[in-house]
Amino acid sequence: MKVQQGCNSSDMGIPVTTEEELRRNTVITPEDVLGLQKITKNYLCSPEENVHMIDFTRFKIRDMETGTVLFEITKPPTPAGGKKHCDPNAGRFVRYQFTPAFLQLRQVGATVEFTVGDTPINNFRMIERHYFRDQLLKSFDFEFGFCMPSSKNTCEHIYEFPALSEEIMREMILHPYETQSDSFYFVDNKLVMHNKADYSYSGGP
Amino acid sequence: MEMDISGVSRTHVSILPAAEIKATLKPEAERPRCASTPCSPIRGTVAGYQILHMDSNYLVGFTTGEELLKLAHKWSEGAPEKSSVSESVSSPIQSPVPKSVDLGIHRSSRIFKGKNRYYQPYDIPAANGRRRRRMPSSSDTFLRSLAHGEPGPGRGLHAPLPLCLLKGKGAQSKSLDYLNLDKISIKESSDTEVLQYQLQHLTLRGERVFTRNKT
Repeated sequence: MKVQQGCNSSDMGIPVTTEEELRRNTVITPEDVLGLQKITKNYLCSPEENVHMIDFTRFKIRDMETGTVLFEITKPPTPAGGKKHCDPNAGRFVRYQFTPAFLQLRQVGATVEFTVGDTPINNFRMIERHYFRDQLLKSFDFEFGFCMPSSKNTCEHIYEFPALSEEIMREMILHPYETQSDSFYFVDNKLVMHNKADYSYSGGP
Repeated sequence: MEMDISGVSRTHVSILPAAEIKATLKPEAERPRCASTPCSPIRGTVAGYQILHMDSNYLVGFTTGEELLKLAHKWSEGAPEKSSVSESVSSPIQSPVPKSVDLGIHRSSRIFKGKNRYYQPYDIPAANGRRRRRMPSSSDTFLRSLAHGEPGPGRGLHAPLPLCLLKGKGAQSKSLDYLNLDKISIKESSDTEVLQYQLQHLTLRGERVFTRNKT
């Protein structure tokens, strides 16, 4: 069994996993995704597995050093019949175009507002892994805790950005969208949602 | 890690309908800019989301998978000749389209259309008396090339679609229909991985050919 030495202390001792292996599992756990070495090619769960009807309705990021709000977005709650997508995965992917200045930030607060369905949610947790090409930049692990049924909740998490070498930053700027992330959401240690994003840092006017 | 969780009963959230939001949106008034002037907030809507704020010192574009697929579909519909596309497909591994371009980014192009000034994002406004370190100069040339990139709607910039969109579960055939794969002569192996790679770059190369033909 291969074990990661890892660039993140939180991944030390976690067995290495691959996307192909996890697809064979009936349940995917936080430890499973912590072993992934690279961005997944596809989603590890379907939209239908969001049985708790978790719906993100607002998102905001700010620079913790200055308090500057960098981005804020909101969306109307999903209608009862569910959203119709031309592609079931289209709603699970976003693309950001940052400027190089973003890479200079050290702490970014992300506030997320979400609603949940009519069952209580225990141990709601998100693991978000950021990669540049096949190199893991950092893995973030945030707890949302308990959520009451049919509630709207707000939570802010602090992203401590890793110190990146000039060379890596330069490469990230020169190669837009080769920085990617997987966001895995778990309820009671079972994967229920999987979102993806990619990033450019060469943004200009 | 700081957290503040408040669970409240779901209440009605007053959010303007998208149509009303668009009707009320107006392009931001022109303001003289300098490194220390905070950027005008960028607002707009994309794929049902309402962007309330976007600080262009740090973020200049946001889009969703839905928007990317719509734009890819639109561009493929605009493809004039299939033969042009097949030419480009026959040599898939050759020089990829420069990635100095972005696909379908909501850069507020609808709001800021016509505003074509170059803004230096690096000189971050001083905070607490400290000015932040500027980015390496190696990016300057690159960014200048972006600023003077291809013309066209939203700068007409392209980048490969993410693989996760091309492999849409249960909707793969639908999302790929617009590529008219049955009409394209692919001489390479039918290996799935190779095909996926080809498809990723298909739209890009086709667009490059069309650009050349127009000139």
